[in-house]
Amino acid sequence: MSSETEPPASSQEAGGGHVDGPIREIGHDEYDPVGTLALIGLYFLILVALWFFMYFVEFIGNDPTVVGSILGGVMVA
Amino acid sequence: MTSNETPYLEQFPGEAKLVKAAFWSSFISLAIGALFGVIQVLHRTDVLRFIDSADYYTVLTIHGVLLVISFTIFFLVGLFTWAITTSLDRPLPSLRFSWGWYGMMVAGMLASAFSMFAGFIDSIDVSASVLFTFYAPLQAHPLYYIGLVTFVVGTWVAGFDWIRTWWGWKQDNPDERIPLPTFMVLTTMIMWYIATLGVAVALLAFILPWSLGLVDSINPTLTRTLFWFFGHPVVYFWLMPAYMMWYIMLPKVAGGKLFSDPLARVVFVLFLVLSVPTGIHHQYLDPGIAEGFKFIAMTNTMFLLLPSFLTAFTVVASMEHGARQRGGTGYLGWLKALPWRDPVFTGMALAGMMFAAAGFSGMINAGMNINYLVHNTFWVVGHFHLTVGTGVALTFMAVSYWFMPQLTGKRLWNRTVALVQVLLWFVGMTLMSNAMHRGGLLGIPRRTAEPQYDGFEFEAGVGSVAELDAQIVIGGILLGLSTALFLAVMIGTVLGPRDDSLPGNNYAETLSGPEDAPLVLDNLKLWTIIAIILVIFAYTLPLLSIISRGGLFGFETGGLPLSISLLGSTIAATFGELLPAAGSVTAPLETAATTLTGIVR
Repeated sequence: MSSETEPPASSQEAGGGHVDGPIREIGHDEYDPVGTLALIGLYFLILVALWFFMYFVEFIGNDPTVVGSILGGVMVA
Repeated sequence: MTSNETPYLEQFPGEAKLVKAAFWSSFISLAIGALFGVIQVLHRTDVLRFIDSADYYTVLTIHGVLLVISFTIFFLVGLFTWAITTSLDRPLPSLRFSWGWYGMMVAGMLASAFSMFAGFIDSIDVSASVLFTFYAPLQAHPLYYIGLVTFVVGTWVAGFDWIRTWWGWKQDNPDERIPLPTFMVLTTMIMWYIATLGVAVALLAFILPWSLGLVDSINPTLTRTLFWFFGHPVVYFWLMPAYMMWYIMLPKVAGGKLFSDPLARVVFVLFLVLSVPTGIHHQYLDPGIAEGFKFIAMTNTMFLLLPSFLTAFTVVASMEHGARQRGGTGYLGWLKALPWRDPVFTGMALAGMMFAAAGFSGMINAGMNINYLVHNTFWVVGHFHLTVGTGVALTFMAVSYWFMPQLTGKRLWNRTVALVQVLLWFVGMTLMSNAMHRGGLLGIPRRTAEPQYDGFEFEAGVGSVAELDAQIVIGGILLGLSTALFLAVMIGTVLGPRDDSLPGNNYAETLSGPEDAPLVLDNLKLWTIIAIILVIFAYTLPLLSIISRGGLFGFETGGLPLSISLLGSTIAATFGELLPAAGSVTAPLETAATTLTGIVR
């Protein structure tokens, strides 16, 4: 509708789901979701890091001892 | 349906009214529920206590039931009605019938709400301060249960209404694939029918007769297990409409297409199959259920990560497609090309991000051994405020900015306020939920009016409890403010001028469409049978074992107040003094008191 024929400014005013038309069409075969790989990969790394962190939280006292020891170390130094 | 130029209101004026009514029922629940949430935050942290601590639990019950039952499910029935009519391009068979199920849901919720609110008024002998998890030994007025049953039966009839609309369509289009939104509605409703059987049996066979005084006692483990039979899949009932929006609306507002229709179908089939046989993972700490059964529930639960990760991939890939069509480049640079000024997009994207964070705390909850660390602590509250409280709630609010103009023909008031609203929710929830998770690790309990104790302090490894409390209060107030802004935008839109340039009622096209999906995915009978078999595997032995140990109706404990253990011991002691010879009287009393104490714990 109007949003596809007019510049983006009109869609910004309208709200309620006006979508700007695409600058270029990307079909099924030309689309390679590398950005998704990067983002999901990042999420996976965060999960792995949290999982390791969980080990310290659960098994060595109830404190996040990694942070505690780093802070303690900094204060001693 | 993807190139339609007519708004929903003009396409289906009658259905639009019904959807609008359902949405407003949802928003009214949200308004009251959110207000009560702010009261709880202030009370718990001891910043401002203007209610009696005994009333805290009434407030908590209303907050829980209105938000997770009324707000979510009223929104769901509106959304599903839109999805069925839009994707089948077909009206509901009879609007009078449809208003009937909506009326049932309203009547049921009003009855439950009355019984909960009556808890504030001493002169009315009705109360239902039993929390959303309404299992024994807490007992509510029968009206509370009758209201809930009526509400749930209303959703059953609604499901029937959508299914028969699909049947009608199928007869006219025998060779076509089920449109994706309809497929999502059907799988979700089949899951809901299976799941609600548990709560229906718990309420109708045990809790309601007990509350009415028809039976003296019930088996608490049995009713808890039946509650969680429903209590876990219900979270997917909240989540599936949000998932639907992420699959069919988010790619469109991002300027792209859904990456894969077949993957979306796989995800919904997996939720249908795996949602129910997992409920026992809420009972890892319940005595009376063998570890082996809990282990099976844990395994099923971990499998549920699969559809969630599939969703993360498909939804992000669809967003990226939109971003690249809008000119985005690079590994992460495409993120800048997304329409971050559109509240519909930003709300949904932030909700999805918060939901991903909840994936981690969910894995902690699901692990049988790690769960012991966080069970019944504030951590769990932090977790579900990320899932239902943001993943679902923020998605619903964000898509309302698209739906309200579609349903009313009015212009959205006002895009900037709407954008501020979704951002405020995100910031508020980041503060509150983070602090709740950390508080849980320190052992701060949930469901507690005054988690401050004489002669004992929770020790924080990093920061302090005061700092956590400050985050919770600031976060809670921001969330309250955000809700107020949301309601202001909704009311402003309804009262505002008509918009003649509304976009058509469309949802996202697909890069890989249903023609790429194996036919077996649409075989709903097969998936239903597999779902039922898995439920039988997961629940038959635990239920039989619980019944054989505790009896169908349990021991003779009755629906007594929580203080009975104290009372029982006092009576036992008094009797013991008065009647030293009457050992036969005091012994059973003491046994009863001990049993009760155990159950209460």
